[in-house]
Amino acid sequence: MKVWLGLGAMLLLAMIVAACAGHEWASPADLLRAIEGDQALRSRLLFDWRLPRVIAAAFVGALLGLGGTIYQGVFRNPLAEPYLLGSAGGAALGATVALLVPLALPQSWLLPLLAFAGAWGATMLVIGISRVAGAVDAAGLLLAGVAVAAILGALRSFLMLALSDETVSLQVVLSWVLGGVQTPTWAGIAVLVLITLACVALSLALARKLDVLGLGETMAVAFGLDVHRFVMLAVLAGSVIVAAAVAFGGLVAFVGLASPHVARWLVGPLHRPLLPASALVGAIVVVLADAIARAALPPAEIPLGLVTAVAGGPFFVLLLARRLRT
Amino acid sequence: MRWGLAVVLAVASIGPAMAQSITVRDAFDRSVTLPAPPQRIIPIFASNVEIVASLGLADRIVGIEAYTRYPREVLDRPLVGGRLGFSVDAVTALQPDLVVVTPSRQAANQLIDPMERIGVPIMVLLQRSVPEILDNIRLMGRVAGVSGRGEEVVARFQARLDAVKRKVEGQPAPSTIMITGRLGNGLMLVAREGTYTGDAIRLAGARFALPGTAMLAQVSPEAILNADPDVLLWAGSERDLKELLARPGWADMRAVKGKHAHAVSRVELLIPGPRTIDGIEHLAAIFHP
Repeated sequence: MKVWLGLGAMLLLAMIVAACAGHEWASPADLLRAIEGDQALRSRLLFDWRLPRVIAAAFVGALLGLGGTIYQGVFRNPLAEPYLLGSAGGAALGATVALLVPLALPQSWLLPLLAFAGAWGATMLVIGISRVAGAVDAAGLLLAGVAVAAILGALRSFLMLALSDETVSLQVVLSWVLGGVQTPTWAGIAVLVLITLACVALSLALARKLDVLGLGETMAVAFGLDVHRFVMLAVLAGSVIVAAAVAFGGLVAFVGLASPHVARWLVGPLHRPLLPASALVGAIVVVLADAIARAALPPAEIPLGLVTAVAGGPFFVLLLARRLRT
Repeated sequence: MRWGLAVVLAVASIGPAMAQSITVRDAFDRSVTLPAPPQRIIPIFASNVEIVASLGLADRIVGIEAYTRYPREVLDRPLVGGRLGFSVDAVTALQPDLVVVTPSRQAANQLIDPMERIGVPIMVLLQRSVPEILDNIRLMGRVAGVSGRGEEVVARFQARLDAVKRKVEGQPAPSTIMITGRLGNGLMLVAREGTYTGDAIRLAGARFALPGTAMLAQVSPEAILNADPDVLLWAGSERDLKELLARPGWADMRAVKGKHAHAVSRVELLIPGPRTIDGIEHLAAIFHP
């Protein structure tokens, strides 16, 4: 219980600090005034722009934490991360199309929709390929993921070269690919809350079987688990969750990889507590990283993915070193 | 000209003593309403700063971005962005009543949405041709409540363009290539048709030696050698031009042998503002000495 209260308090604190952080720092009193409906330009900025972004960052982090935990559970590999099965490449391709090709829908809709479709579609493609190749196991999926990622990356690069000109800047695409939380409207936040809650429910439904799978494939079969079916199901669920995170947050490196590990230190390896704990850790990390991205280098904004990568890279190396030593 | 300058609903007077509000359509076909002529303008990018300044409104500029170098009098204004992007916080802190952007780098992407949400008028300008630049000056004049001055400035520029036209009309148009940059992989960026720079080249009385570069602005040096234009232009310094021409084979180009390789001003031809008119006059002097 203490862990949960601690995580909850940390998230709240992180969100308050993040809401104050910016090129122009606000005080908690400023925030309160903005929430009470003050009409000064600065208050409107805090309420209609900064707060939604902080909240969105928390949900994106939570989704990445969930997705990462599911992938690590399915592949029984602590270095598995949510972008493993082509979702990053697919999302980036979808976002590139949304940003560069003039289509009928407004971009604020198109960008999350196409990013989601790309992320999910790419994972489906990976699963499809590994099925056709008759290699529906972890290794087959991973290899298919590498191939699909390479193809999608090349397609995206070509689109970027061919479609950018004086009015459509490559920087826009690049900064999306490097990660950055979109700022939804309050209605968008409501949608995001619903999506996240659904994802939490979905992943908790997988929790017990993930534990069983963690015992090893033979043990899992002995426990009566249809391993192939379950792996497929869990990957599908994981890919939807990651696609949702990507749709709202772009590509945010390392959070999906690191959050489950931190959460495991806190609550142990069982998935029922691990999933929500990992979601909370992910939320805290992304909220803080987003605050750094917004505040550190005025008047510019650092792409969020760079902040998490700079912090997460050494973490990854640490994990790798530990694993190699054992 | 497709969006053109559809100034639709103008001037709805609210009351005798009150300021007049104005609504215009910008280059993204967005409706932009200003309750009163703006007094605190943030023009993002050099071109938009120069347009505001050309109307004599430089003193109303309260913020600029880091790559604005002209005119000197606005360079002390606070910066709201630079190469890495644009700060919504910094823009808001300056309490602007008009933000002008061009969809370059991330400006439109980063600023339109937040400004709309907090209710700061933000106007998008595009500059795909020389007439569009003149339209922008006119539109800016209307929005800022100095339409008369805008028309005057544009008429003056138009007269200068007409003079160039009379000068080059009927003369054989030399073929030309304007190199605007070199990429790390050896490819070169060239001015294309369908842009204001391409427009400037055409208006100054030349034709493109490399037609059909609409899709990719980058071409290989071989393509340039192969096209062998009458006049070779380098947008940059004389020194860099010399270095460019020292590449193997380039000295044999017709333009180089005939001493028709010239360095031209980047600020005149790669910033779509009032100085483009100077650039066109200078180009015409090169093409038709």
